[in-house]
Amino acid sequence: MLLEIIKFEIQYRAKRAETYIYFTVLFLYSIIAVDFLFGHELGSVKANAPFVIAQSMTIISAFFMIVTSMIMGTAVLRDFDHNMESLIFINPIKKRDYLAGRFIGSFIVLLLIFSAMLLGLMLSCFVPWRELEELQVFNFWHYLQPFLSIVVPTLFFGGAIFFVTGALSRKLMVVYTQGIFFLMLYLVILQLSQNYDYRFLTALLDPFSFQTIGEVIQFWTPDDRNSFMISFEGVLLYNRLIWILIGFVALVIGYVKISFNVVQDKASKKLYQLKVSKENGLAKNTTKLSILVFSVEFNTRTSFFQIHRQALFHLKSLLKEGSFWAIVLCAMGTIFINTISLGTSFGVDSYPVTYLIVSELVELSVLFFLLIIIFYSGELVWKERDARLNQIHDSLPISDFVNLGGKFIGLCLGYLLLISFMILAAVLFQVSKGYYDFDFSLYFMEFFIGIFPVLVLLTGVTFFFQSLVNNKFVGHLAVGVFLFVGITVPVGLGYHHPLYIFGGSFLPAYSEMNGYGHFLESFFWVKIYWIAFTVLVFILATAMLVRGTETRFVTRLKQMKYKLSRPLINLALGVGCIFILSGSYIYYNTNVLNDFAFPSTQKAYRVDYEKTLKGFEKLPQPEIVDVNLTVDLFPDERRYAAKGYFILVNKTNSSINEVHIQKLPTSKVNLKYISFEGGATKDNNHEDFGYFINYLDQPIQPGDSIKMEFQQVFSEVGFEESSNKSIVTNGTFFDNSHFPSIGYNGDIELEDNSDREKYGLEPKARRAKIDDPISLRHGRADGDGEEIGFEMILGTVATQTALAPGSLVKEWKEGERSYFHYRMDQPIANFYSIVSAEYKTLEDKWIPETSSLFDHVDLEIYYQKGHEYNLDRMMNGMKKSFDYFSKNFGPYQYQQMRIMEYPRYRDFAQSFPNSVPFSESLGFILDIDDEKDVDMAFYITAHELAHQWWGLQVNPADVQGKSMISESLAQYSALMVLKKEYGEEKVQQFLRTQIRSYLRGRSREEIQEMPLSLVESGQEYIYYAKGAVNLYALQDYISEDSVNLALKKFIRDWDSTNGLLKKNTDRYSTTTDLFGYLREVTPDSLQNVISDLFETITIHENKAKTGSYEIISEENYRVNLTLEATKYQVDSLGVELAVGTNDWIDVGVFAEGEDGSEELIYLKKHHFVDGVLELEITVGQEPVRAGIDPLHKLIDRKLDDNIIELSKE
Amino acid sequence: MSNLTITNLSKTYSNGVKALQNVSLDIPVGMFGLLGPNGAGKSTLMRTIATLQEADQGTITLGSVNVLHQKEEIRKVLGYLPQEFGLYPKTSAEVLLNHLAALKGIVSKSTRKEVVEALLHKTNLFEHRKKKLGGFSGGMKQRFGIAQALLSNPKLIIVDEPTAGLDPAERNRFYNLLSELGENTVVILSTHIVEDVKELCTNMAIINSGKVLLKGNPLKTIEEIEGKVFSKTIQKEELESYKEEYVVIAERLFQGKPIINIYSEDEPGNGFELIKADLSDVYFSRIFGHLKTAG
Repeated sequence: MLLEIIKFEIQYRAKRAETYIYFTVLFLYSIIAVDFLFGHELGSVKANAPFVIAQSMTIISAFFMIVTSMIMGTAVLRDFDHNMESLIFINPIKKRDYLAGRFIGSFIVLLLIFSAMLLGLMLSCFVPWRELEELQVFNFWHYLQPFLSIVVPTLFFGGAIFFVTGALSRKLMVVYTQGIFFLMLYLVILQLSQNYDYRFLTALLDPFSFQTIGEVIQFWTPDDRNSFMISFEGVLLYNRLIWILIGFVALVIGYVKISFNVVQDKASKKLYQLKVSKENGLAKNTTKLSILVFSVEFNTRTSFFQIHRQALFHLKSLLKEGSFWAIVLCAMGTIFINTISLGTSFGVDSYPVTYLIVSELVELSVLFFLLIIIFYSGELVWKERDARLNQIHDSLPISDFVNLGGKFIGLCLGYLLLISFMILAAVLFQVSKGYYDFDFSLYFMEFFIGIFPVLVLLTGVTFFFQSLVNNKFVGHLAVGVFLFVGITVPVGLGYHHPLYIFGGSFLPAYSEMNGYGHFLESFFWVKIYWIAFTVLVFILATAMLVRGTETRFVTRLKQMKYKLSRPLINLALGVGCIFILSGSYIYYNTNVLNDFAFPSTQKAYRVDYEKTLKGFEKLPQPEIVDVNLTVDLFPDERRYAAKGYFILVNKTNSSINEVHIQKLPTSKVNLKYISFEGGATKDNNHEDFGYFINYLDQPIQPGDSIKMEFQQVFSEVGFEESSNKSIVTNGTFFDNSHFPSIGYNGDIELEDNSDREKYGLEPKARRAKIDDPISLRHGRADGDGEEIGFEMILGTVATQTALAPGSLVKEWKEGERSYFHYRMDQPIANFYSIVSAEYKTLEDKWIPETSSLFDHVDLEIYYQKGHEYNLDRMMNGMKKSFDYFSKNFGPYQYQQMRIMEYPRYRDFAQSFPNSVPFSESLGFILDIDDEKDVDMAFYITAHELAHQWWGLQVNPADVQGKSMISESLAQYSALMVLKKEYGEEKVQQFLRTQIRSYLRGRSREEIQEMPLSLVESGQEYIYYAKGAVNLYALQDYISEDSVNLALKKFIRDWDSTNGLLKKNTDRYSTTTDLFGYLREVTPDSLQNVISDLFETITIHENKAKTGSYEIISEENYRVNLTLEATKYQVDSLGVELAVGTNDWIDVGVFAEGEDGSEELIYLKKHHFVDGVLELEITVGQEPVRAGIDPLHKLIDRKLDDNIIELSKE
Repeated sequence: MSNLTITNLSKTYSNGVKALQNVSLDIPVGMFGLLGPNGAGKSTLMRTIATLQEADQGTITLGSVNVLHQKEEIRKVLGYLPQEFGLYPKTSAEVLLNHLAALKGIVSKSTRKEVVEALLHKTNLFEHRKKKLGGFSGGMKQRFGIAQALLSNPKLIIVDEPTAGLDPAERNRFYNLLSELGENTVVILSTHIVEDVKELCTNMAIINSGKVLLKGNPLKTIEEIEGKVFSKTIQKEELESYKEEYVVIAERLFQGKPIINIYSEDEPGNGFELIKADLSDVYFSRIFGHLKTAG
């Protein structure tokens, strides 16, 4: 019997079109999945690496959980849906056979459908766009193993749960709603996983094993990822077992609970019905029907009335759905879950400012909305047909437009309700955090202007597909495919134009400085365009909607002309006009007034630039030594006009008779004129590239200088697809890269090496070799002149303050405008910022304790009103930094230090001479709890100030290792200030995050990991993270004072304007120079530490193997430890090899402190030679735990096994 | 008041079934009965008139309105009770009826309320008006269907097998209601119960296999075969031979023995007795094809 039922089930499914549709969609998706999910992130990991296959499978099986629900959820449910239950249940079949048969049969079908994933992924190796180098040798087991170990369990537990709930609830909507709960669960896990403490837990509980795999492979290098499979053991095994168990539990519950009666609780109703139908009937008085005399008029008012009634009716029925309220609760709940990591930077939460809350809420709720849209739209369009009321409903005198329109509006009202609840939740959350500065207008903008239109658009399109396709499930799929093809694919390929990305862009980021700025205009136009599109599609939907019993597509197509009434056609024409006009207007703005280029066009432009002009790269050119500019800012118009001169010097040995000028390559910058002292002839042949060759009438002789005058205007017209975020109404921040540069500009070249190869270009090095003679002579300004005299007059609107580096020489007002005159009395790096905004200021002074250039330094913070939270921390950071740096490295070179806040469109702080533009999102709104957080406002300030020494005093040569000098030393300096102010513990807390980000970073390296000494550009995980960890380790080995002494000498010799060595050479310093000083202060016994930390890639694996202690006396405890230290080094091919250890490593013992917390009672370096060390340590307190490198000073792949609980002997 | 005129209406389904073949009918104000066995094409015809189905060819007009193309116009004056239908289970009778009334264009709230209440009373659903429709019995559901068909003064009422699920008393009351309406409305009633048509309808048509076999006044059609129907009680074994010899139009069992009715222009003798012809005799004689289609 069981077999019969299984057979029947499979045969039934085999005849259903859906089965094949699911298979096909899954198959097609799987073919492109790897490209879509991983894109360019793979780097040197192959597209068919085992982890890529496994991870793709987890994601696909999660995405396609919906297919699982539709197959498994309907296995029993459909008998009820089709009123078949009586016929089925009267047969002499056992409950066990029926349920097991249905489950097994459906599950087999499900597995067959999901085998499409296996096939698709395998086939994806052979797609035409796949290049051979992206692949490694095909191995079938790499596909089958994760399918069996990961996907099959997922399908099993999902299937079991859907099967049981479908059978128990007998409602399709309940089956859908469960998808939401899975989603919730997944989101919770995703959120939790951002906190390192929960990573193991989330890996254990992730229903789809995505996090689990992530946890297993987190520190695998690309090489590991290519070679190793995710073995079915450890956390993955437990995770899968947990979910399989959950599946079984569901089945058992289901088996017990599913009653095998015809209808569960309808039996009682039946009795009741029998009773009532006996006593009632049509009215017994057969007197004439009192015919009510009324007339029904049909006019526009009637239609509006009908829409209104239809909307309210369907809204009410939506509100009766338990699933709707489940979604409301979930959506409200997300904010409380999600803000576990609210705007976290380095583990510190931000204040719950409204825009952050909203963006977190929106980010997650998009998925809820999507579910509501897709499923409820389907339910609404199908409502009459599902209830079999369609024949009555279809003969009602309402137009299809009124019918669908009413439902549409009803659903949209439901969204508004949901949104209101979400706002309520957000406000409650703010209250719970003690934050009462509710910004309701922002809530309104973000939700009603930002999100709501998107929902409306999607709903319109969903209604369209549900009307077009005469099958609800196929309709759902069609919507999914549409979204994928209409949004995901083009965006993934880099095509962003709002005219073809469905719905256009989301509301631009809100900044408390600049509001929505100028971004709103294009937002509204694009929304009008897409709303018009959606209305057109909606009209088409009403014309294609199935009405009556004619369901064939062709018949409906023929009927369209009778369904499109005159008013509807007029509406369509009107809306069509709006569509075309708004579209044209957008096109006019983005493509005519502004330049719009497809990614390929942009690439071709860069390639063309390189191919045409590369020949000029090594042409001798003069260098800038003086900058004197007047920049008039017009923030309201997002415009500036700059005028002034550069003084150029010929530092070469021969005369120069042509000066090549590169204008910023955008049509917004208009170089009005450029003139050279003594006259020049301009060659405009390369105007397309903004590249002008000026033949000087009088060549510049070696050592001579020439004045170059120019005027340039930056202006915005109309709006564009992605608009500039640096010159804005309030919060302008840009730098000297806007102004003309000298000679060929390598920054315009195509960066990505795989792109370069396609265009027939040589690969581009991320940094020149450390001994490259030309680049050694270049610093930050890349040959344009490194040290300059600087003077600038800034004009801006009267309400704003404009800032550039230098002392403020003069400030005045002229009418509605303010002017500021800045000047530097000493040379600065050719690197300056221009900032203008409406500011509040906080001022203070730093009085140096040691000998100094100036008797005080003015400290100024320019900030947005309302962002006062951390100003004191930043001010303190400045003072403490100056104290430490001036004492240990050398004096500060300027008379002022300024921090200027700028809008959160970008999120970094950057150090210019005496100026640090600091993003709104970075430190200003952090909610720092000194108990548990690292004071990141303080730390970032210290880091940026350190750049005044590292980067601005020492300008490192533009070769490998450059960023170690500028960034790693800034990290080290900031850490030392942090240690002094907050203690060692905070430093260690910070460093632990840095070790992880280093290990994660190296696992994603696309080209080649470099040692710190040769670090290249873009390797942040090395120069920020590893740099901080290893420099801290170095000072631990050789003492802070020794390191500082070396740095002091380094700066003394290599200061770019007056360094003792620098004065006699035209090259800039490198890490080789730096290590000279460091080695000098390092004892011979520790010289190898320098090479381990900086010159090689060294990874430790330190482990406490056993540990015990015995009590000798009340104050004497002997600890016995077996510790293991293994060290790996990466060779030039990227292969990790174990190398012998011969190192001094910390050994520590912990005891319980007085307040119950752990206390380090013993910490001493022990010498480890070749691996295992057995130790006996005597301590004076009862020990609890002990281990090797307990404070994680070394880069260790596994941090958790360093310390061991001690057993008592 | 306008007549409903059906001219040369044909419909073939995609599976090849010819549901309607050149159907032409002229239906005046009053009750019109549509008789035919299951699958005869009654429902197809009704649905086509009720704007729910397309015809391959032919026209239907109500007065000057083209039913097939001006669907909106027809729907404004249409009351339709389909043969099979469901209701929103979670909605109450009153709410749904009110909603349907609104969709039928009754804008005034007070009018709507009056109409809905009157119809709920009329169909004896008033005391159940707050109850969820999901809990309605077959009979109650059918009465709800009737109530909704009568909303908004229909000029054309189409009821497809309306008495299915009603007990005899309810059936009678429903027919009374219909005949009241039939006084100034076109009411098309499809059924396979011959007696109903005889009692209620001033006009009728019999259709089978998509063709109109007969149309006219029920009584007149009976008159036409008056004196030509004979009956006899026979033995079971004899049935086949009788069928070969005579035009058997009806057979039924009486106390276990077959009684057959035959159609004969002349006195058949052989123990047959002349009986008073009935509409069912007309019906069966047409259905079994013994009589030529009425011209």
